[in-house]
Amino acid sequence: MAAGFKTVEPLEYYRRFLKENCRPDGRELGEFRTTTVNIGSISTADGSALVKLGNTTVICGVKAEFAAPSTDAPDKGYVVPNVDLPPLCSSRFRSGPPGEEAQVASQFIADVIENSQIIQKEDLCISPGKLVWVLYCDLICLDYDGNILDACTFALLAALKNVQLPEVTINEETALAEVNLKKKSYLNIRTHPVATSFAVFDDTLLIVDPTGEEEHLATGTLTIVMDEEGKLCCLHKPGGSGLTGAKLQDCMSRAVTRHKEVKKLMDEVIKSMKPK
Amino acid sequence: MAGLELLSDQGYRVDGRRAGELRKIQARMGVFAQADGSAYIEQGNTKALAVVYGPHEGMGQGWTQGSQLKGARGRHMQDRERKTGGFVLEIRGSRARALPDRALVNCQYSSATFSTGERKRRPHGDRKSCEMGLQLRQTFEAAILTQLHPRSQIDIYVQVLQADGGTYAACVNAATLAVLDAGIPMRDFVCACSAGFVDGTALADLSHVEEAAGGPQLALALLPASGQIALLEMDARLHEDHLERVLEAAAQAARDVHTLLDRVVRQHVREASILLGD
Repeated sequence: MAAGFKTVEPLEYYRRFLKENCRPDGRELGEFRTTTVNIGSISTADGSALVKLGNTTVICGVKAEFAAPSTDAPDKGYVVPNVDLPPLCSSRFRSGPPGEEAQVASQFIADVIENSQIIQKEDLCISPGKLVWVLYCDLICLDYDGNILDACTFALLAALKNVQLPEVTINEETALAEVNLKKKSYLNIRTHPVATSFAVFDDTLLIVDPTGEEEHLATGTLTIVMDEEGKLCCLHKPGGSGLTGAKLQDCMSRAVTRHKEVKKLMDEVIKSMKPK
Repeated sequence: MAGLELLSDQGYRVDGRRAGELRKIQARMGVFAQADGSAYIEQGNTKALAVVYGPHEGMGQGWTQGSQLKGARGRHMQDRERKTGGFVLEIRGSRARALPDRALVNCQYSSATFSTGERKRRPHGDRKSCEMGLQLRQTFEAAILTQLHPRSQIDIYVQVLQADGGTYAACVNAATLAVLDAGIPMRDFVCACSAGFVDGTALADLSHVEEAAGGPQLALALLPASGQIALLEMDARLHEDHLERVLEAAAQAARDVHTLLDRVVRQHVREASILLGD
């Protein structure tokens, strides 16, 4: 009976729940789904992480390669993100060139990396003007159930924390790079940006961490990226219904709380990874 | 530096296995919520996952999401899409692809850019991926009872997360489990394994190091109950006298894989029935 009503009038079905301040999966309006993270499972990648936010699953693999720096920034390396939403994650995506949503997500991640200064590009320099590291961060969504941006940001952060780069020295005589695979060091992660997404319902109600169905019925979305000092890295509100300044402030305080939750989870995972 | 010895005098391979020994296989079914059927398999260090959507109506070029259309038509489509909570059908000859007497099996193979030692530039759409997709399709068309679902389409997507040799075999095994998870009727399990030939001995389940050494390699997909071969592919030169032995090694390995997959499926069904309270 309820399933029939849900198919015929999904919006009304949701409104009934929202009136009681809860959602069909039993969560409160400000509650996130269970987040799990698994670091370092792909040994062919230099760093990897798998993040599950409820059913939404994103895997991030980081590969480091050599590159020549550009002439206007001879001591800066590159961080190149790419988000892939393949047809296997949901029936709404078809195979072929990246669709709109994948491109928007890729650009969003690129903005987050740039704005939050998660890695100083100078740290990726091996020899100014000659050789720098380029980190290719490939994020693949394996299961799409809404809130892809949060999952991608978290996966990226976890994977970067897991990356180990070997020591590289330039041999003066041959001018070739010598890689010492035995000596590896972790990247210097300066900030920890964490994304919190909201969906706007009926122009008034804000819910956190929307699932796929909720995103579909929403009239607008909002994503806030915060780092640890309460600094705002990125605010992504692509159109949709308008929000008052007060509501925006509420969202930001929720984002700050979420940052603490995620940071705690990350620290636990990193600690459990360290050899005892 | 001496060449890598693929088979030592005592009969041990590079990773310590015996000639006919398989790598450790771990598999799980029903891992993703969005798909009709899904499975994840690890064969040694090769990690592959398979996802099945279907059987559903043949989706050619006809289906769109209203939000992708621009202008007034786009907004109209968006409202319709929101009310129906899903796709908006734009018939543009999509029916033409569906077959009138059986289901269309569509396979796509994609391997992540970080799956190999050297970063892969194109995860899908390149020749190797297309060839793999075609091979998977041919394998599964032989096994799935397509006559039971006319005019529909079954999509099988395979994603390789880490490649350490035997990717075709891992994909086939994962796809078998995914198709079973989706409840699509099959003639039999499809179990696959690779085999090679070194120093007069047939090796089963090659790892990347053994594949890269350049010896003859055989990929075999078998339907274990009837012993029928769904797909057989061989690279590099092999004397016809040795073919029998290599084929037998691959077939035996495939049967061992079948025992394992059978156990995984039974375990999964048992867990599912416990959850349902039977």
